[in-house]
Amino acid sequence: MISQITAVMRLELKKSFFSRRGLWIYLLALGPAFLYLIHAIDVVHDHEHRQALLASHPVSGGVLQLIRQGMPLEHVVELLGEPYQKNEFHGRGRRGQDFATYRYTDGENDFTFFFVDGQVANVNEQDRCNLTKDSAIFATVFQFFYLRLAVFFGCVGIFTNLFRGEMLDKSLHFYLLAPMRREILLAGKYLAGLSAAVAIFTVGTALQIAALSWHFEPGQVAAYLHGTGWHDIASYLGVTALACAGYGSIFLAAGLLFRNPILPATIVMLWEGINIFLPAVLKKISVIFYLQALCPVVAAPEADTPVLLKLLISSVEFPPAWLAITGLTAVMAVVLGVAAMRARRLEINYGTE
Amino acid sequence: MTNDRVVFDNVSRFYGEVLGVNRVTLSIPPGITSLVGPNGSGKTTLMNLMSGLVRPTRGEIRVLGIPPDDPERLCRAVGYSTQFDSFPRGLTGYQSVAYFLRLFGFDQVKCDRLARAAIERLRMGESAHRKVAAYSKGMRQRIKLAMAIAHDPPVLVLDEPLNGLDPLVRSETIALFRQCAAAGRHVIVSSHVLHEVDQISDQVILLSNGYVVAEGQIQGVRGEIQDRPMQVLIRSSRPSMLASKMFEQDHVVEAQLTDDGGAVIIKTRDADRFYRALNVLALDGIDIEGVMPVDDNVNSVYEYLIGGEGSR
Repeated sequence: MISQITAVMRLELKKSFFSRRGLWIYLLALGPAFLYLIHAIDVVHDHEHRQALLASHPVSGGVLQLIRQGMPLEHVVELLGEPYQKNEFHGRGRRGQDFATYRYTDGENDFTFFFVDGQVANVNEQDRCNLTKDSAIFATVFQFFYLRLAVFFGCVGIFTNLFRGEMLDKSLHFYLLAPMRREILLAGKYLAGLSAAVAIFTVGTALQIAALSWHFEPGQVAAYLHGTGWHDIASYLGVTALACAGYGSIFLAAGLLFRNPILPATIVMLWEGINIFLPAVLKKISVIFYLQALCPVVAAPEADTPVLLKLLISSVEFPPAWLAITGLTAVMAVVLGVAAMRARRLEINYGTE
Repeated sequence: MTNDRVVFDNVSRFYGEVLGVNRVTLSIPPGITSLVGPNGSGKTTLMNLMSGLVRPTRGEIRVLGIPPDDPERLCRAVGYSTQFDSFPRGLTGYQSVAYFLRLFGFDQVKCDRLARAAIERLRMGESAHRKVAAYSKGMRQRIKLAMAIAHDPPVLVLDEPLNGLDPLVRSETIALFRQCAAAGRHVIVSSHVLHEVDQISDQVILLSNGYVVAEGQIQGVRGEIQDRPMQVLIRSSRPSMLASKMFEQDHVVEAQLTDDGGAVIIKTRDADRFYRALNVLALDGIDIEGVMPVDDNVNSVYEYLIGGEGSR
């Protein structure tokens, strides 16, 4: 039995990894890492630019923190010196007020002071090198783009093709003429698809984390890793692998049960998409619910989400990790069980495909 | 039910509203059995049924006593060369056979030995390590046959196995079928070429519109064939030369180049002499890439068979 599963996997792995038709899956998996890399390069470039500005307009970070609302402009300039950039507008608005923005940098952060009639009205501190902020951004991108779209559609591409693709290629009889139980064939194909999906998407996750942390000082990264960093990374990689397993089981079954798996894929995508609004009982019949429960950082809805939409969000306490893994495994077991029953009755009928 | 036969007991198979085969009752003994019938008569459905690729809507099938819903036993007993010309992507001929054997659970050494032996029997050794995608139709046909015989099954099911083979390989392949039959195996062949059927069969099952209309020994078909011209398509790199050489034969009544200019359709009154002449031309160095009968008009012979001693 093991040798038969291995034989199926060997054939399927070749197809899953090196299929020309599957190039878009690599793009989906590696695209976010590429975007993070561009962001990191931009941050490094920006940092160098700020260092150059600091050299020409020296100011200490401690003094910048002293600036408060209501301080007169002259006092600010006395404390900080001339800004590296300033914009002034006189007699604007209905009341003919004077507006000004002064920009300073301490080499790391950017400070913009807004003056109205010669007094500080607002202070905006732009801090681009912040691990806490970046890890929150990563959590949002990971849960709302990577899991729900990239891994989801990647699994559609890999797993629906395991049976359906061979029906269309008229080559499935190669397996069905071999003396093995259909459940063994299903297991071999699922494991092959899973190995490919996990390898492609966990590498994608790891590269995203590496690209995101690349521009931070080594000391900052080391401190993060010694804190929650290693646990977070392991969690994200584990969640990626579980997403592949969960969505993989669904789309393997879809490839067996439906002639056109795009329809069930769309339905599953909508179901997963509205999960946040579903009541507690229905939330549990999904993959994303358990995956979110396992993510180390909770991705909250964005601040600019409309109030009415926020009211519809059903907040349910996530289950503990062991229960989330058990729940997901149960969903997978049910779906794969249905797929195995279908595989047992599978026939070659290329003419109608 | 006996355990040395392929048995169909009142088997029907429908594809939705479409009839595949209906109320087929057969008991096929060892030896070479030909399933004969025009396109759409149910030959392939019958073969898919006995190899477990499709299941009967009604009735019961046993292959040497094994039901088709037991693939672990059935596929060890049956070797099936299908009409489907597709292989897993990117494999060479050798890999197709060897990987197929790996699915049986054999170790690598055994797979290698069996694959090489099967490929050699089909004389594909030289091109075994080329990609199947680059094979001609005849080469793909031979690799399919190699896959069917590689695990040495007692039942060989071969769907149009001689299609696309050149004359030399064709006669070698027929010899291979005879060897298998002489060793007590079942060789079940589908064909709509009566000349082939006459040459190789111990018994014939005649199908029409999904029904078995006759079964039994084939006798005297040759005479019937000789009365009617047979059309054969020959692919060659020099079709004009081939056409002119063939036209010198008195049994050839027509030679016509195809529209693509890569083949010639020969109409002959004597299939035996035609194939002998083709062999001579092949030995003389005229490149023959494939031979394919294009004459589906066998109704007259079916009528002959139905009316003859094989009818029921």
